[in-house]
Amino acid sequence: MSALSSRSSPIVVAPALLLVAISLWEIRAARRDAVSLPGDAAWHAAAERVRAGYRPGDLIVFAPDWIDPVGRNQLGDLIPLEAAARMDAARYGRIWELAIRGARSPDTAGLDPAQTEDHGGVVVRRFERAPAIVVSDVLARLPSATSDGARPTLELTEVGFAPHRCLQVSPAPGTPLRITFAGLLLGRELVGYAGIADVFTRRDVRSPGRIDVELAGKIIASAVAGVDDGWVRFAAATPPGPADVTFVVRATAPNRRICFAAEARQ
Amino acid sequence: MSARAHRLIGWALALVTTLVVVANQRGVGIARDEVVYMQNGARYADWWIGLVMLDHGVGVRSVTQTFGGPNPTDNNREHPPLMKTLFGLSEKLLHRTLGVTGEVTGFRLPSAILHGVLVLLVYLMVLELWGVAHAIVAALLVLCLPRAVFHAGLACFDAPIMTLWFATIYAYWRGLDGRRWPWQVGVAWGLALATKHTALLLPLALGVHYVIVALRARPRGGEGTAGATRRARAVANARAVIGYRWRVIVSLAVLGPVTLYAVWPWLWFDPMHHVRDWLTFHLHHVHYNYEYLGRNWNAPRFPWHVALVTTLFTVPAATLAAAVTGAGVWIAERIRRDPGRSERDLRGPVLLFALSLAASAGPFFLGTTPIFGAEKHWMPVLPTLCIAAAAGVVWAARAAAGYLATFRAVGERLARRLATGVLAGIAGSVVLAAAVETQLAEPYALTWYNALAGGAPGGADLGMNRQFWGVAVRGVLARLAAEARPTGNTYVYTHDASPAWGLYQRLGLVPSTLLDAGWEQAGIDRSELAVVIHERHFNRHDYLIWNSYRTVQPIYVLASDGVPIVSVYRRPAR
Repeated sequence: MSALSSRSSPIVVAPALLLVAISLWEIRAARRDAVSLPGDAAWHAAAERVRAGYRPGDLIVFAPDWIDPVGRNQLGDLIPLEAAARMDAARYGRIWELAIRGARSPDTAGLDPAQTEDHGGVVVRRFERAPAIVVSDVLARLPSATSDGARPTLELTEVGFAPHRCLQVSPAPGTPLRITFAGLLLGRELVGYAGIADVFTRRDVRSPGRIDVELAGKIIASAVAGVDDGWVRFAAATPPGPADVTFVVRATAPNRRICFAAEARQ
Repeated sequence: MSARAHRLIGWALALVTTLVVVANQRGVGIARDEVVYMQNGARYADWWIGLVMLDHGVGVRSVTQTFGGPNPTDNNREHPPLMKTLFGLSEKLLHRTLGVTGEVTGFRLPSAILHGVLVLLVYLMVLELWGVAHAIVAALLVLCLPRAVFHAGLACFDAPIMTLWFATIYAYWRGLDGRRWPWQVGVAWGLALATKHTALLLPLALGVHYVIVALRARPRGGEGTAGATRRARAVANARAVIGYRWRVIVSLAVLGPVTLYAVWPWLWFDPMHHVRDWLTFHLHHVHYNYEYLGRNWNAPRFPWHVALVTTLFTVPAATLAAAVTGAGVWIAERIRRDPGRSERDLRGPVLLFALSLAASAGPFFLGTTPIFGAEKHWMPVLPTLCIAAAAGVVWAARAAAGYLATFRAVGERLARRLATGVLAGIAGSVVLAAAVETQLAEPYALTWYNALAGGAPGGADLGMNRQFWGVAVRGVLARLAAEARPTGNTYVYTHDASPAWGLYQRLGLVPSTLLDAGWEQAGIDRSELAVVIHERHFNRHDYLIWNSYRTVQPIYVLASDGVPIVSVYRRPAR
């Protein structure tokens, strides 16, 4: 009885048990984490499944984005530069998504897969939908564009750490640069994106860039792209038919590489 | 066990640490900055050898040509020379003269030895404070730090400054024992200053600590204080603080700068100007790109929690849990204010460890201090964490053993064995967890994150920095060599491995016909093979290659635990 009464509470053992438990958990978890990602065989099987069903014009995406190099290693031959550096995914009716760790690509957000298969941890999902019908694309119309200053150049460049094909300009500080596409065939909507290219100038020049879209002298859409904003969407309803569309690009600092793309959609 | 045997354990642990680091670094690629330090270190070593051999004197011209110059980065003058000089001397002796190491290992050995010294110093200080059990656990936990083992294997300054920072802490603490000539603290700090500018933060920790322990040690309620005015008390306190261990202050103030001056010939002429240039460079250091929690950071304000979260994910979880336990024990002991505290306790070792941690990591909470390089910039926090972890482990083990010993069936002898067994079990499990993490992390430890983060894949999901300095290219050299043309030259866009390319060729890791194509788009356009080292801000290199090669498909992707770290492209046949 005296021994029992002098005994301290069993709770004093808890820290020791907790440390042992955490250690054992860490040993197991660390070893499991190190082999948790699908290996070459799984990726190869998933890629074969995509190849079997692939049709020209399909878009292939990977999730999470950091696994993209592995995905391109397997299926890069089916990803044209235009698709890899797309403005967005709206014009693609069929999308293949290869995903691990339960991730989803932003390009398939809100879509339900028509087909899902798991190949050793690489989940292949096929999505089908009515694609946006593009009636004109400013990238394709660049040769006929006019500018009141420097002409834009068509680039495949980094904007927001992602690849984008876009028209790049560096307007003089405080002087708007007007780029006009005469007789651009419009649909019901004009959709575009703008951002600042090049991580190093984004670091060294911190001011945003701005783009306004004018139709018949009236601003119908605008976007302000800051250095951390990435690829910023803008859109406006438009009357179908040909029209002169002007993109007015502004910067307040030199060497602000503003890149934009836009499509007129039915 | 005798005191000598106890010390031998420390030396053995130090030796094991150095051997582990040396063995590990053989698989680690050459870091971009490391090449600069190796090249300059070799030249600094030549200069010192020439001086000793009386081949040249100490002229402004020879010093400037070797250690300085008009521009901020001439001869790498922006970094003090101690470690670079040791790298150069080591390579000359061990590789060129004796031929007992390879070239790279020769350069890297001083860092590895200093890491062993860190383990020894941690062991000796903790041994002195709390005994052999604490000391062994603390030393082993320092040994089993994945990122520290990685950095200690590089000919860089980040692991060495951790050692010399702690050496200063230890020497300072010993100097507070009232010894007549506490020269060690000044010399240690001077060597720390001669290693990396972050040593300038040390006086913050030492200064605050000194004032607190001096005030604690002053006589209370002594003669003449009763009824004294506030001013008189303040003067008495100031006298008590200054007079407490004034030789320590003198040692720091005099021997620190003198040591720095002695080992840095660039300061021998126009020292004020050159010190100003050195510090100005770091006060206006460019912000390199660094990914943290899913965002690329390259300009202030940075999140205040970078040091906290990064440490949480880059120190083994079991070590962190033990450190939290140990910190709790220390706080509880402080609250109890044991009146029978020893003279060592009165010198405030725990406070000193805490202040050391705060001084090292504190600037990264400001939101303006450059955060690139992550944990390597606040690595001096690690000894404190490991010492706290040892305190936690030993306390938890003793508490558990004490409880078990209260059972009637447990005799005194069994209780002693039980105590040893429980301690071994708990310490063993914590150390084993840290060892497993360390083993899994190498050789791509910059991509590794602990189990709390979910390992390397979890780190990638969280958007933590993937790597830096281009070391991972080492892992694709064999593939690049295999892709080289059978005859003639093959140009490779080597990306961030460009500075190391010549060394890789000399080491025979790539054939001499595999040539560095040059920088950026021009280099890519010239190349047949291209490498991209995956960091968020390096995505642009993929796109430059796509533009030139007209394909988005790499032929090979090197991964660490499945996480992509390097892609290799081959230009398709035209």
